[in-house]
Amino acid sequence: MRANSIERRIRWSGILIGAGLIVQMLTLLWTHPLAFMAFALLGCPLVGAGILFFLYSLVSHGAPPETESPPFR
Amino acid sequence: MNTAAPILIFFTAIVVLLALLVALRAELTRARGGKILAFVALCILPALAVWAGVHEQVERSTTTRFCLSCHVMDDFGRSLHVDDKGYIPAAHFQNNFVPRDHACFTCHTDYTMFGDYRAKWRGLHHVWVEYVGTVPKPAEIKLYTPYNNRECLHCHAGARSYEENSRHVKDPNTLPLASENKLSCMSSDCHDTVHDVGTLKDVTFWKASE
Repeated sequence: MRANSIERRIRWSGILIGAGLIVQMLTLLWTHPLAFMAFALLGCPLVGAGILFFLYSLVSHGAPPETESPPFR
Repeated sequence: MNTAAPILIFFTAIVVLLALLVALRAELTRARGGKILAFVALCILPALAVWAGVHEQVERSTTTRFCLSCHVMDDFGRSLHVDDKGYIPAAHFQNNFVPRDHACFTCHTDYTMFGDYRAKWRGLHHVWVEYVGTVPKPAEIKLYTPYNNRECLHCHAGARSYEENSRHVKDPNTLPLASENKLSCMSSDCHDTVHDVGTLKDVTFWKASE
């Protein structure tokens, strides 16, 4: 269940990042203020959201159940 | 497009493929190697790609072509080709006193610690006005603040042509006042013909030889 949850989040992160980077690639093909705006207002936020969502998925993923560790010697 | 752009596009395409691979095969992350791949593909490489993209886009936004791509700037672009050395921007552009492909930015950035960022912020405002706001007529476009001599002196200070110019040394106060920005280079009947887009219908234009 937990694995499915983190995998779903990772999937969404990948999609957001992929979409943002595709926007970035398209804007690099055109030197124009509209390309700059698309990069700044669409590409960057998508990639940023994807990265933050990925990092959130890591920190929100609970620690694995503790295993009994050998006594400290 | 500069030479770095194709490399950046290629790099970005690779990162897209890796990100989509992890997105479509998220179960890969169950293994240790998959976790490392996910971290690289969804954090390190996208951050690098965006950083490089920002650099490239900011560099492009300093080009003359970029500035003149808005219709309202057409006359300002034409004023760079006036066949009259009294037009300060034309003289600078035609004689390569400023790089032709970065002509606007070279004179209209602030040569201060955060001047480039202020120029970018103003540029974003211009783009916003172009597409969302009310675009003024070219002749009505004014600078936000009077042009600071600091921008002229960034290049001209210390130059023999500036320091020993007969008109500059005629009055010993001229150069000190100019360096303190108390005497504007562009007023006082000195270099007062700048873009003057309202007069372009009466001038002749220089054509660069091929």
